Amino acid sequence: MDSTRIDLFDLAERRLGWLDRRSAMLAENIANADTPGWRPRDLLPFTAALAQAGVAPLRTNPLHLAGTSIRDPAERVQDGERAPDGNAVRLDVELTKVADTDSAHLLVTDLWKKYIGLYRTALGR
Amino acid sequence: MDITKALDISARGMDVQTTRLRVIAENLANQDTTGSDPRTEPYRRKTITFATEMDRAAGMPMVKVKKIGVDQSELPRRYDPSHPAADAQGYVRQPNVNAFVEMMDMRSAQRSYNANVSVMQVARGMLTRAIDLLK
Repeated sequence: MDSTRIDLFDLAERRLGWLDRRSAMLAENIANADTPGWRPRDLLPFTAALAQAGVAPLRTNPLHLAGTSIRDPAERVQDGERAPDGNAVRLDVELTKVADTDSAHLLVTDLWKKYIGLYRTALGR
Repeated sequence: MDITKALDISARGMDVQTTRLRVIAENLANQDTTGSDPRTEPYRRKTITFATEMDRAAGMPMVKVKKIGVDQSELPRRYDPSHPAADAQGYVRQPNVNAFVEMMDMRSAQRSYNANVSVMQVARGMLTRAIDLLK
């Protein structure tokens, strides 16, 4: 088994990080379900975020500032129906996204465990 | 870690909804509170608004109670000459609390509170599963 060929752990780590950030963002939307003028935010889809990853300005000197990536990986403002106070949070939509995040997280952690299990089998433990 | 952030945010969301419920309870409890003489005003309905501001302790924007205000709408009047707060014409000013409005507000607060609880449960599940990876 060549662990460098399919870098599943790296991919899983990125995915978990993305899900982490997304759940915090959705929590923010739901906590602000009654804040006047609040517009819900969401992360870029994971595939898009992954395609952007690793694109950063080259630093020719360690004293240079790190700089940010070309496009901010976060925050997509969605347009939708707004309440008279300007709030655009729809609890059902947000809770569906939370459930999506949860099941994706379950999938990743289960895959991770399976993969570790393969190593265990290979090592005969 | 962002998951713990999510827990903090949801906790704060629950906190503001609890404050909202407290204001509603106050309004409902005082829906018959008139003044004791014609000059004193009866109870006026309280209102609550939320805002999101940068929380320095948490290092991120958090929802908070912006203002607990007073509803300045007109006070209804009831004819009751024997009441100590009745004016010269025999009218008593009543609180401007509408029980139906308060009830609907209460349902809305409950719904938002439950949504925050659900998020917290999911975030906790995610955290537990992440910790379980160590096993």
